[in-house]
Amino acid sequence: MSMEDYDFLFKIVLIGNAGVGKTCLVRRFTQGLFPPGQGATIGVDFMIKTVEINGEKVKLQIWDTAGQERFRSITQSYYRSANALILTYDITCEESFRCLPEWLREIEQYASNKVITVLVGNKIDLAEKREVSKQRAEEFSEAQNMYYLETSAKESDNVEKLFLDLACRLISEARQNTLVNNVASPLPGEGKSISYLTCCNFN
Amino acid sequence: MAAAVSGLWLPGGEGGVSASSLSMERIRSLTDLPELEAAYSRLCGEEKGVEEELEALLEQQNTIESKMVTLHRLGPNLQLIEGDARQLAGMITFTCNLAENVSSKVRQLDLAKNRLYQAIQRADDILDLKFCMDGVQTALRNEDYEQAAAHIHRYLSLDKSVIELSRQGQEGSIIDANLKLLQEAEQRLKIIVTEKFDVATKQGNLPQVERFFKIFPLLGLHEEGLSKFSEYLCKQVANKAKENLLLVMETDMSDRRAAVIFADTLTLLFEGIARIVETHQPIVETYYGPGKLYTLIKHLQVECDQQVEKVVDKFIKQRDYHRQFQHVQNSMVRSSATEKIEPRELDPILTEVTLMNARSELYLRFIKRRIVSDFEVEDSMASEEVKQAHQKSLDKLLNNCLLSRTMQELIGCYITMEEYFMRETVNKAVAMDMCEKGQLTSSMVDDVFYIVKKCIGRALSSSSIDCLCAMINHSTTELESDFREVLCTKLKLGFPATTFQDIQRGVTSAVNIMHSSLQQGKFDTKGIESTDEAKQSFLVTLNNVEVCSENIMTLKTTLESDCAKLLSQGFGGEQAEAKINSCLADMAAVSNKFRDLLQEGLSELNSTAVKPQVKPWINLFLSVSHNIEEEEFNDYEANDPWVQQFIINLEQQMAEFKAGLSPVIYDSLSSLTTSLIATELEKVVLKSTFSRLGGLQFDKELRSLIAYLTTVTTWTIRDKFARLSQMATILNLERVTEILDYWGPNSGPLTWRLTPAEVRQVLALRIDFRSEDIKRLRL
Repeated sequence: MSMEDYDFLFKIVLIGNAGVGKTCLVRRFTQGLFPPGQGATIGVDFMIKTVEINGEKVKLQIWDTAGQERFRSITQSYYRSANALILTYDITCEESFRCLPEWLREIEQYASNKVITVLVGNKIDLAEKREVSKQRAEEFSEAQNMYYLETSAKESDNVEKLFLDLACRLISEARQNTLVNNVASPLPGEGKSISYLTCCNFN
Repeated sequence: MAAAVSGLWLPGGEGGVSASSLSMERIRSLTDLPELEAAYSRLCGEEKGVEEELEALLEQQNTIESKMVTLHRLGPNLQLIEGDARQLAGMITFTCNLAENVSSKVRQLDLAKNRLYQAIQRADDILDLKFCMDGVQTALRNEDYEQAAAHIHRYLSLDKSVIELSRQGQEGSIIDANLKLLQEAEQRLKIIVTEKFDVATKQGNLPQVERFFKIFPLLGLHEEGLSKFSEYLCKQVANKAKENLLLVMETDMSDRRAAVIFADTLTLLFEGIARIVETHQPIVETYYGPGKLYTLIKHLQVECDQQVEKVVDKFIKQRDYHRQFQHVQNSMVRSSATEKIEPRELDPILTEVTLMNARSELYLRFIKRRIVSDFEVEDSMASEEVKQAHQKSLDKLLNNCLLSRTMQELIGCYITMEEYFMRETVNKAVAMDMCEKGQLTSSMVDDVFYIVKKCIGRALSSSSIDCLCAMINHSTTELESDFREVLCTKLKLGFPATTFQDIQRGVTSAVNIMHSSLQQGKFDTKGIESTDEAKQSFLVTLNNVEVCSENIMTLKTTLESDCAKLLSQGFGGEQAEAKINSCLADMAAVSNKFRDLLQEGLSELNSTAVKPQVKPWINLFLSVSHNIEEEEFNDYEANDPWVQQFIINLEQQMAEFKAGLSPVIYDSLSSLTTSLIATELEKVVLKSTFSRLGGLQFDKELRSLIAYLTTVTTWTIRDKFARLSQMATILNLERVTEILDYWGPNSGPLTWRLTPAEVRQVLALRIDFRSEDIKRLRL
């Protein structure tokens, strides 16, 4: 297992209301598909895609969670080990945007404090039905100190960018953490060291 | 040939007009003799050339003539061939016409044959129609509904256009009448069958129900038959379920199965439905064809959902499920505001819920298998789209049925409650932690892992992969943060040092106690724990950390094989294995974190407990002079001045750790201690001075020390003492230059760990070595 062929391994968890297109984003990115009439996700789905960024192999473990309330206790258990969270809403659905603060509370409660959160407004192909203006979303994400991106899983707009940018940020974050950790070795109890850095990076 | 001829003639033709390069005018205009001579010789040359050409042409005359003769001879033959070809063409045309004639006749014959067959078929059909008509009447009169239905089936399978055509024939009116009668009979039969079926279902007369169920498809009423039949089956399911639920209400709380009575009730329901499917699948397959089982099960699932809802409602009510869940949620959010629910109280209900889900998963898997194999028979020739549509409708049935949703909701609450159960029970185990004398680890490690194993095991028993993964994740969190934190805090208290440090610590803690007692107005006795207890606690915690790290790996391995069993039974989707593996990998990573913690604890122990003791003992080396003569050397021989006492002290010191630490940890500690001794001893040696005999004395002392340490450690310690051994070698030299016997090309198998500068430094410790000699050395 330790000799696996990658330089970095990151866990990315997609969260957000039911029906905002989380599964479609993942399918588009991992398989290049847009399955119409996608049924609701049951529990969590799990996909892997390895990408190459500046010559380094980055393995992305993508956990696609069910948006429905009854799966919440299952999905919550994945927050803590996540390196990044993609909080998704549907730009044609005001309700999905209004639920964002609730999702942020969940993140606050369950996720690691080092997690990177990206806000994604999906379904920009349905521009004529837009209910949440880009400006509003940008203001919101700025106030919450989140990176914001609008995507269309159907038209494949910004999907690749979303995941690749995220991977880049995760790499630089991981690098920084290792540097800090190398300078001052953690005292017992402070040892929330970076679990995603495998030894193969620095040998 | 024509080309050859013209080729021959061309040069001649042209030659006549302008073959010569000299024109007549030019010749005439010549006046000079040399010019004339030149022109003449040129003309002569040209003449010669022309003559040669002519001769060559004349030589060819013979061949050309002979070829002409052959051509003339060919003439009559060609005429003959032309005649033959004409004749052949005529014959071919004739044959062709003949063949055309013959085949058209065959075609006509064929057509006639087909028409004849059709005519026979139609006659048969008409006869059949009549036969059916008569048959239906008789059968109906005799109440032989199977026979009647068979006739109607025959009539329905007749080609409708044939019947239409027949009606236009001469006997149209008769057929018309027959048809009308038949249609009437069909309608009558449908009504009769429906009525009889309804009566049979009302009476619960299974043979009659099945009898008429078989008739429906003969009348083309597949859907109606299936829906009516399932209605009947549903009613049976409902009745049975009602009885079972009543039994539940009457169950005594002391009953052996009382704690899982709702799971049992669901099991009965599912088994009932499964039995129905099992029993009636052959009839449906035989009389309704493949692919119809889905319809039957879809109808049954509606009833199943209703019954499940009833059972689950009762369960929620009787077991107070939602209130308990609320309670747990509240206790988790506000840690101490509300009265905490006792985790032990949750135990039975958690077990029951997982059992309920396991039964549901088993049932859904059964249904899925049955429908899939039924569709497979139907879809063997079907297009990819049809297959996908079937797959989709199956997924929809399984995922969207109320049973699935209800169970997902129950499991959702279960996970939260199980997490609470785990955390609270772990807290309890930590609070009740005890270490019996002579035990290396304390009770909480075993307890905590027992609890974690139990919780994950229970999640596993639900057969839901997502539920299992969620609990693995929660366990990872619990072990990594909460429980590791407990051990961390204990290690942070440190290992109390004795003697000098003790006094220091005692003073500070006394001051602290004074402070707190002044502030709180009472005396806190907790502050003065006995040193022994604190020491014991630190060592036990180190052992605990190591066992945790090992237990996590054991837990992972156990879970892996348990999960493999579950997966091999066909539970979980395609990614189930990948999901579990990922969650388990996260858990295994926690084992390393405990290992790191152990290392931190050990170096803490080494630097705060071992070093302050060992260092003064080593420093005593300085008080023993190594600048000695024969007499003192002999005296040392008799009364060892340092090393024996040091070994005794060390042994006493380490004995405490050896007794209190697991062998593996003790080994790591002795390795750390050995390194510490080596470094410290090196320091004091460099501060001492040696005579020749003093060097010998040191060599003896070092050998004793190494010999002792070798017996008490499992590591090879020679390496750690390599530098010291080399120093001893240097201090034992006869002369300064003797070092060259061991240095550089003469070093042989020896690898010097000392730099040239250090060698000089050690040499300088010998008071009898002159510094000029040392300086002069070429190293």
